[in-house]
Amino acid sequence: MAKLVGPLRKELADSLSSCRVLVVGAGGIGCELLKNLVLTGFKNIEVIDLDTIDVSNLNRQFLFQKKHVGKSKAQVAKESVLRFCPSANITAYHDSIMNPDYNVEFFRNFQLVMNALDNRAARNHVNRMCLAADIPLIESGTAGYLGQVTVIKKGQTECYECQPKPTQKTFPGCTIRNTPSEPIHCIVWAKYLFNQLFGEEDADQEVSPDTADPEAAWNPADAAARATASNKDGDIKRVSTKEWARSTGYDPVKLFNKVQLFKDDIMYLLTMDKLWKKRKAPLPLDWTEIHHLESSQEEACGTGLKDQQVLGVQGYAQLFHHSVETLRSQLIEKGEGAELVWDKDDPPAMDFVTAAANLRMNVFSMNMKSRFDVKSMAGNIIPAIATTNAVIAGLIVLEALKTLNSEFDQCRTIFLNKQPNPRKKLLVPCALDPPNPSCYVCASKPEVTVKLNVHKTIVQALQDKRFKSGLETNNNKFLSDFGIRNGSRLQVDDFLQDYTLLVNLIHSEELEKDVEFEVVGDAPDKAPTPSVPEEGKNIANGNKDSAQPSTSSKAAAEDDDVLIVDSDEEPSSSTMEASPESSNRKRKHHGTDTDDAASKRKRLDQQPADDDEDIIALD
Amino acid sequence: MIDTIEKEDNIISEEEAAQYDRQIRLWGLDAQKRLRGSRVLLVGLRGLGAEVAKNLILAGVKGLTLLDHEQVTEESRRAQFLIPVDADGQNQAQASLERAQLLNPMVEVKADTDAVESKPDYFFFQFDAVCLTRCSKDLMVRVDQLCASRNIKVFCGDVYGYHGYMFSDLGQEHHYVEEKPKVVKGSNEANDGPEAKKPKVDPNETTMVKKTISFSSLKEALEVDWTNEKAKSSLKRTPADYFLLQVLLKFRTDKGRDPQPDSFAEDSQLLLQIRDDVLETMGLSSELLPNTFVSYCFSEMAPVCAVVGGVLGQEIVKALSQRDAPHRNFFFFDGLKGSGVVDYFGSK
Repeated sequence: MAKLVGPLRKELADSLSSCRVLVVGAGGIGCELLKNLVLTGFKNIEVIDLDTIDVSNLNRQFLFQKKHVGKSKAQVAKESVLRFCPSANITAYHDSIMNPDYNVEFFRNFQLVMNALDNRAARNHVNRMCLAADIPLIESGTAGYLGQVTVIKKGQTECYECQPKPTQKTFPGCTIRNTPSEPIHCIVWAKYLFNQLFGEEDADQEVSPDTADPEAAWNPADAAARATASNKDGDIKRVSTKEWARSTGYDPVKLFNKVQLFKDDIMYLLTMDKLWKKRKAPLPLDWTEIHHLESSQEEACGTGLKDQQVLGVQGYAQLFHHSVETLRSQLIEKGEGAELVWDKDDPPAMDFVTAAANLRMNVFSMNMKSRFDVKSMAGNIIPAIATTNAVIAGLIVLEALKTLNSEFDQCRTIFLNKQPNPRKKLLVPCALDPPNPSCYVCASKPEVTVKLNVHKTIVQALQDKRFKSGLETNNNKFLSDFGIRNGSRLQVDDFLQDYTLLVNLIHSEELEKDVEFEVVGDAPDKAPTPSVPEEGKNIANGNKDSAQPSTSSKAAAEDDDVLIVDSDEEPSSSTMEASPESSNRKRKHHGTDTDDAASKRKRLDQQPADDDEDIIALD
Repeated sequence: MIDTIEKEDNIISEEEAAQYDRQIRLWGLDAQKRLRGSRVLLVGLRGLGAEVAKNLILAGVKGLTLLDHEQVTEESRRAQFLIPVDADGQNQAQASLERAQLLNPMVEVKADTDAVESKPDYFFFQFDAVCLTRCSKDLMVRVDQLCASRNIKVFCGDVYGYHGYMFSDLGQEHHYVEEKPKVVKGSNEANDGPEAKKPKVDPNETTMVKKTISFSSLKEALEVDWTNEKAKSSLKRTPADYFLLQVLLKFRTDKGRDPQPDSFAEDSQLLLQIRDDVLETMGLSSELLPNTFVSYCFSEMAPVCAVVGGVLGQEIVKALSQRDAPHRNFFFFDGLKGSGVVDYFGSK
């Protein structure tokens, strides 16, 4: 029989005290996980989180107290853990894991990585880094009562991106602009309106009636006629919403009546009569009329939360008025050309969306919603409790123990359900799936690592001299001009050879004289001769075709392509071409950001792509 | 016991609303108010106890009494995260108090250093729920009998190495509500055609459905008669953990303690012996619990405490808030397999 150290066999206990692990995230799961790790006997732990502590975290992130609000989660978590386990060796990083400083070499320092994240972008990123470093990754997530844990090991299991994940829900423009039928449509519209008036204007976030709505047209010619008619009017649609608002001095009453809001544009919508053949038509609101109504349901608070009251139309009209005035002052204070960023925790911003959404709901005959409910939907708040995170974090450590012993055949995906399934299971372990052979991210492709100076190497150096096409203009640009930097991975396809090669770039300023680049480590079989990766189109073109390097399958390119597969570059104007995907991401996800305001983050990184926690309750 | 919300002055302050926001969004304001009015007794402050304490304090109960007569040892200190490093020799409940209170200043946390066996009956009546860890079978049966008749919710739980369980007795008539989606037939206004596409009511609206459920006593749950045909036929679907629990409870009764790593050899022998005796008395085969179990039931695994403590903590929250179907009546966790099973034993 085995010798025990506490509950563990001796060999296992010994390996725990020497191994190094990385915890990504110090929030709901992270706090519980850190506690479990040190109590189990792990000694060397690094934890990273870019966030600061908020009062709404305190119902579950138990390493934090009220006095810590505003401080770094990673830092305070470390301090709290040390208090009950002073011998633990913990390093805390108040930083984003997507910072290129945390490169493959950094990941290789660890025997195990455990995610405790709340967004897909970071999960995708860590997934790839762990694959590249060949370090096992334990992935997990929780939402409400549900949770899930799984193990990712290169070559043995599916990676995080082997199976497509459900994309976040978006609504068609005409639903938002013309025919909302659910409160969420009105809330999204209200957020768009906020941006149109006070924030960064976005062509994808129009609030005015959509004359091009296919449903509105009795026939195609009619639709075309409407479209040209409205343009001819030289009406508001020509002038941006913000300009118009500014021209009225953000007069709340004018805003209210203009349809932007609730009268004029609604009247316009009503003329699109086909839309209302089978739907209840919207009822426009007029500012003065509202105030002639009997002042209604503004009752006493009672024993409920103030935020959970549902006001009447007058109440929301008042709220609208008040919030517009406050936001106007905020804009003025910020100065010329200022923009506000919507934040659910900024009261006037939240008030504005609550009011505007509810007024629109009223116009479209929907039951209005309390500020509490609107905040949930507008802010994509995921309800969270301590116990779910506690269970999941316990499961993570149990999987970690098997992983460290390389007992991958024992590892499982485990689902936590709210109720037991017909086989009485509340916790459902499932065997891990093998890797998806056509996974774009983890399927084995030949790879080579090349060291060069991105500032000094020009595109042409990567291309065969035989290359010809009209695109020589880019040949003399430096790689760094395209956002290629240390850690970038380029995919080179050669259709003549039916060969794809991944090139990992390590930026170096210390190459020997006359050496343009250096192959590091082994080059794969069938690798091209060192001087010429292969014929390649220039990078910019390649990227135009492949707008989404991280999630799509290979771009259907006509010719040979060099694609940036994985740039750590942050979106910025100079790299617009190089990483259109990331800037698109930034725009599209207004409706679905996670729980945290941009301002709290240490770096204005890519916004978290969505709020999903990848929870599936299996039966 | 809280029957109606109006029973106590249950206004949630803005401060509480801010702190409990993420859980109010999950289980609702009514549930939070009921929690806010509940007092809980927690017996035993080792690994599992600390987890349950944390979970209940964070949830926002009115009061939590930590009861433990034992002293802090190096082993017990390492098992949990509430006891400071320099507290060896102090009472376990007392030593845990400060950190427990800091988890949530809005909860009244108290420490009681008496042995639970020495407490008179009326001591238990001041609580809405009682949670017993590291207690002997006899004590648990006694407290269960005492409390169930007074509508005090009773919970038991333990962690043995990689294994853990929880038991609950919510009484003969436990009332609770479940939130179900509202089904609305389209009843549309005059200017719609009969084929109006969308219902007028927000499809996200829900309704509360009231339910009642009954529980078995602990005594009956542990004294199942396995000799009758019906019980025998259900054996195949019965988790072995149920029998493991019987063995460990017997060990605890006989030795006055749980199996300890320091006396691994002799304790393992004794465990195997007890297994044979217990199963024989039940008229069952020793094969139901293969020998390997002895390697994995010593001490408390921290991650297993977290899992069992999480499920147990949530069951207490559910029972006090009277919201959502409780697990009935055992939860067994096997940390080697990662499986967690809910099963019912006892009177039908």
